[in-house]
Amino acid sequence: MPSFTAQIPNLQVLGPLVDMSLWISTPLEEVLKEARQSIPDPVAAKGMIDTGATGSVIHPSIAQQLALKPVGVVRISTPSSEDVPCYQYAVRLIFPNRVIVETLAIEAPLRGQQIQCLVGRDVLAHGVLVYTGYINQFTLSF
Amino acid sequence: MADLLSEEIKTYEANFEALLGAHEGKFVVIRGAEVQGTFDNQMDAVAWGYRRLGNVPFLVRQVVKVDVPLSFVSNLLGV
Repeated sequence: MPSFTAQIPNLQVLGPLVDMSLWISTPLEEVLKEARQSIPDPVAAKGMIDTGATGSVIHPSIAQQLALKPVGVVRISTPSSEDVPCYQYAVRLIFPNRVIVETLAIEAPLRGQQIQCLVGRDVLAHGVLVYTGYINQFTLSF
Repeated sequence: MADLLSEEIKTYEANFEALLGAHEGKFVVIRGAEVQGTFDNQMDAVAWGYRRLGNVPFLVRQVVKVDVPLSFVSNLLGV
C-alpha cells in the first residue's frame, strides 16, 4: 500500500504539513509528449492536509509555473465568503515516497499562508489518514 | 477570477435543460459554444478533453439540477 509518514516538530501548532510536488496531469503529459511540446518540471510546494476542505487547492503561482489551463469552474464557500467562483486544474500531487494522486484542484490565493497546496477530502477519499498527535506524526496511505 | 471560461459557462446554461434531460449526472466537456462530449467520470472527461482539444481552457461540468458550492471550513483559502 503506497504511503508516507511525516514527522512535524509541533503538529498541533503547525498542522499536518508535507513537502510535496505538483505536476501536470498524466493525460496532459501524454498530449504534450505526442505533440513534442516542452513539459514543465514538477513544482515543489509546501502542502497541508485539510480535512475541512471539500477539495484540494493550489496557489495561483503553481498553475502559472505549470502553464496549466483551467478545465472547470466551481463555486466555493468559506466562513468569510460565499459562492466565490474559482478555476479548477487537473494536477498530479506527488507526495514523499513517490505516492501520486491525480485530481482536480481549485485555484485560490491561500493568502498569508506559507503553504501552496491544501490537500482536501477529494484526495483523502481514496486513502487512510492516521493522525498520531502525541508523537507529532501523521501517515497517509492509499 | 478572469473570464477564461465565460463562454463555456454560457453554453452550459443555454443548453442546461436539454443536458439535464439527456445526461443528468454525467460530465460534459464544453469548448466555446459547443458541447463536445459526455462522460460518466470526471477524470475521463478531462483526459478526453486534453486528447481532443489539446492544452487549452475547456469546461468539464457535471450536469446536476442544483449546483451546490464546495465548502471549506477554514479560512486558509484567502477568498
